Amino acid sequence: MSAIFAVFKRELALYFRSPIAYAVAFAMLLFLGILFNGNLAQSVAFNVSVAQQGGGGVTASDLNLAPALITFLMFLIGPLLTMRLLAEEAREGTIEVLMTLPMNEAQFIIGKFLAVWSYYTVLLLLTVIYHLILTLVGVPDAGVAFGAYLGAWLYGGAVLAICMIWSAVTEDQIVAAFLSAATVLVLYLAEVAAVSLTGSPTLANAAGFVRELGLQAHFGATLANGIIRAEDIAYFVLMMIGALFITTRIVETRRWRA
Amino acid sequence: MIEVQNLTKRYGAVPAVDNISFTAHPGQVTGFLGPNGAGKTTTMRMLTGYMPPTSGRALVAGYDVFEQSLEVRRRVGYLPENVPLYRDMTALGYLMYIGEIRGIPNRRDKAYEVLEQVKLADRANSRIRTLSKGMRQRVGLAQALLHDPEVLILDEPTIGLDPLQVLELRELVRELGKNHTVLFSTHILSEAEQVCDSVVIIHRGTIVAQGSPSELRSTLERGGRVFVRTNAPAETALPRLQQLAQVAQVEAGLDGVIITPADPNADPRPAIARAVLENGWDLIELRPLAVNLEEIFLELTRAPEAAAEAEPTPESEVVA
Repeated sequence: MSAIFAVFKRELALYFRSPIAYAVAFAMLLFLGILFNGNLAQSVAFNVSVAQQGGGGVTASDLNLAPALITFLMFLIGPLLTMRLLAEEAREGTIEVLMTLPMNEAQFIIGKFLAVWSYYTVLLLLTVIYHLILTLVGVPDAGVAFGAYLGAWLYGGAVLAICMIWSAVTEDQIVAAFLSAATVLVLYLAEVAAVSLTGSPTLANAAGFVRELGLQAHFGATLANGIIRAEDIAYFVLMMIGALFITTRIVETRRWRA
Repeated sequence: MIEVQNLTKRYGAVPAVDNISFTAHPGQVTGFLGPNGAGKTTTMRMLTGYMPPTSGRALVAGYDVFEQSLEVRRRVGYLPENVPLYRDMTALGYLMYIGEIRGIPNRRDKAYEVLEQVKLADRANSRIRTLSKGMRQRVGLAQALLHDPEVLILDEPTIGLDPLQVLELRELVRELGKNHTVLFSTHILSEAEQVCDSVVIIHRGTIVAQGSPSELRSTLERGGRVFVRTNAPAETALPRLQQLAQVAQVEAGLDGVIITPADPNADPRPAIARAVLENGWDLIELRPLAVNLEEIFLELTRAPEAAAEAEPTPESEVVA
């Protein structure tokens, strides 16, 4: 347990000193800020016209703007935050010392994962500012916002765990980043693939399955709108556990063959 | 205490370490000697629990490296070959990190203590990237000493150091050998001779010789090749010496003749000396070809080829 905590502490501290982590935070917040600003201006104008006709309030799409955009950006955020995690230890050889300490691979990888997930949580919490701004212009539905943030948090954890697999596979950070980005995009676009499958005469039955495999099927229609379903939470948690298990086995076998 | 029994590691079909057995005793520095690629690092990685053996077993501090890996890791300090360190951390920070993973309770005191021991206390708060190669080596060594291990495994710790640093490090290793079991690998033979109480020579994954440096030398003096220098010209000396029953092969060396004895367990020197005098030559020099570990090592590692070459020569049988 103390080993997990030691690894976690070092890695998390490293994120707050790493230029790439700040660059990710900066780019993400800038992008979100611009979109939020545009969206808010539009929505305020719209709401003013609705209010003149007797309606009012802020629409649901405003509430989940930040979390939903973050889940879309995960194909960039995930690889950039995780590419270093294991690839660098393998390249520098530092893993050789760590793996001769009284600590097993699982502790090492869980410590690393918790660190990157915590950093991601900090990024996510920074965007809560947008929700606070919304409270100034209307009375946003806190339930929808909570669901969307919970969803984005779990979604991010699953993506980060999946990206860690590639960081364990290769010593090259760039390769790890590209493979991670590709994997996350495929999982993100599973819904699109499912739609095209529905049209096929032979594979139409598989469409539902493919859809459920993807990340967005468990976020876009449900959590993003404040609908918290056990199966969606189970999906993200299982993705994390599964990906971390695979990562552990990869680190193990690489060591055994090294 | 390190006990290695029939340890083997194969990468696919290629054996990196092939059925080796040896023992390293507490209170001694055991030298693990061999050319690059002989299987030293692979063996050490198996002993530290980093890599499982293909077959055979090894006990380190009384625990099986494969079955009881965590127990072994608690009792072993390991300095890998290229001294991997986190360059962005300070020396102290790095030791604190390792200490925390190891669960050492008073790790700050302990970290200062080992930094003192490796004479690096004044650089405790320097980032590792700013330290010289020799200092980094010492940070690595401090890491290996942090938890007071029973067994120390040091993989070529003197590589890349300047001569003064090499001397300091050897002194430190000798000092540590007094109350630890130290396994120390090197490809520099004079180093093994100076530092080690016992030496295991490994070549192409197999052990070619083991014993104390002096034992190894006497073994070779007994059965190894002999160098003889006389005032006779090589053309006359070579055929005469070849005729001796104790001699398997003669060849011209620099300023003399190199003689391979027929029986590796018998010293051919008395017979050679007699032959020289009987021929009326002056005997200027007669000595084992290998006088230091460097040459012993070359003798041992050339053995397979030498044996293969020696076999088809029929002369030795004719003379015998």
